[in-house]
Amino acid sequence: MPGALPLTLDQIDLFDPTPFEMGEAHALFTYLRNNKPVFWNEGPENLVGTWNLTKFEDVVFVSRQPETFISSTGITQMKLRMPEPEGLFGDTSGNGKMLITMDPPRHVRLRRLVNKGFTPRAVAAMEAHIREITTEILDGIADRRSCDFVLEVSSQLPLAVICGMMGLEKKDWPLMFELTNKVLGAGDPEYQTDVPEEQRGSREAANMTGAMGFMQMFSFFGQQLQKRRVDPENDLISLLCGSEVDGEALTDEEILWFCFLLILAGNETTRNGISAGLITLCQNPAERERLQKDLSLMPSAVEEILRYTSPVTHMAREATRDVEIRGQLIRAGERVTMWYPSVNRDEDIFPDSQRFDITRTPNDHLAFGIGEHFCLGAGFARLELRVMFEELFRRFPDIDMDGPAERLRSTFIGGIKHLPVRYTPKG
Amino acid sequence: MKVRVNEDMCEGHGKCQAAAPGVFRLRDDDVSEVIVDEVPAADVEKVERAIRLCPRQAIAWVKPA
Ligand code: HEM
Ligand code: SF4
Repeated sequence: MPGALPLTLDQIDLFDPTPFEMGEAHALFTYLRNNKPVFWNEGPENLVGTWNLTKFEDVVFVSRQPETFISSTGITQMKLRMPEPEGLFGDTSGNGKMLITMDPPRHVRLRRLVNKGFTPRAVAAMEAHIREITTEILDGIADRRSCDFVLEVSSQLPLAVICGMMGLEKKDWPLMFELTNKVLGAGDPEYQTDVPEEQRGSREAANMTGAMGFMQMFSFFGQQLQKRRVDPENDLISLLCGSEVDGEALTDEEILWFCFLLILAGNETTRNGISAGLITLCQNPAERERLQKDLSLMPSAVEEILRYTSPVTHMAREATRDVEIRGQLIRAGERVTMWYPSVNRDEDIFPDSQRFDITRTPNDHLAFGIGEHFCLGAGFARLELRVMFEELFRRFPDIDMDGPAERLRSTFIGGIKHLPVRYTPKG
Repeated sequence: MKVRVNEDMCEGHGKCQAAAPGVFRLRDDDVSEVIVDEVPAADVEKVERAIRLCPRQAIAWVKPA
């Protein structure tokens, strides 16, 4: 259990995806919060080291200062010591090119092009539609008594919602699912299908998988973009085609990076929130029963699922000047990594923080970050989680895990790849 | 003391109105508006809470000139 492992600091390596894959990272975080809340982790031979932040207030402090802690040199802990020569496809890091890797002042200008489509009001208007999609997905598993919850349920709702907003045809959705897995799950042998079997699991295999996913994604969206330049539709891609920042139209490259971010952010994270939410409810039967007896508790249960499961594991920043965090000097040019699963169980903020409590109040967690880069899709993610669990428990009140979950080998995304479930069919 | 909402940042999450209903009002265009000139002493703590909770960090005290 958390904190029980005999640990010393030099045994902790947050670059190693193994504890994340095993679902054991909380033991490390509890130890760090209590012993070394600002923890320097030397990088492996190819990556620069980072300061690791595990306390809530420190992550708020960093997120609040987007000019001091910038995003444009990369938002994951994976920063290469030696930049690789640009390959066939140019710079594939996306640094400085997407909303999520862009700094003020341009960041907010770009964000304002689309954010009206993501406000609470805009999200609320989509509820009936999202319920319809959910119903269709659940009808699809109703005549059986078991399925892979990830492949057939949790991945399908966010995929349909984001693809719908971007105006993609249904026949292309499975490809978006596959390419998202390749890009965000590049380090996981399961998605390294373009690499010969005996080479899977290596660093080269991960690079290759990410690059293939990236290339296919860009060529797909390139075609989508050309179509809309000729024939605009009522969707996000067409909206971007007609948009300007500081009087200048967005370039094709900028629009493609935007599509890339939206499709990844929109379909991977919420999927994992739904899957991890179901696992958590199954593992906490008393809380689950309380919820199923009174589905009006769903909004606060969703907040607790987000806090407890924190589907995005980290975001990183780079300091532009010397600055102290909790007494530790961070030098200009050094990197900091903010660990959301840890801050969301910070004992100083959340009493009894390891307990899953569906009516926890207050519950001001940071699963969506905070400030300049606060998750654009938070409203949709919350709505998708709520509607999914409402409809799921209405139809399959006895749904339960039917074997262990398989987790993604990643320090960035708290991914669930497979989740066998069983339930009483609905005739 | 005066408080201000940065309209470029605000995205209508409404945490401010929930924390300090006497000070903030969410307009129909999903932007929060400050509805008092001076924040009454009784509301200062509520505004502090709104500043802390705003997911976009769009709220700030206006520094006296
Ligand atoms: C449970 C689901 C989700 C979680 C946990 C999540 C989490 C996050 C986090 C932690 C950030 C970075 C915040 C920061 O740096 O302060 C972020 C940014 C972002 N998210 Fe999400 N997200 C989720 C769902 C979504 C969905 C459904 C969409 C799109 C429809 C989306 C789109 C974005 C975008 C575009 C950004 C970049 C915003 C910016 O840099 O201005 N996310 N998300
Ligand atoms: S909480 Fe922040 S983002 Fe939300 S309405 Fe108030 S000022 Fe705007």
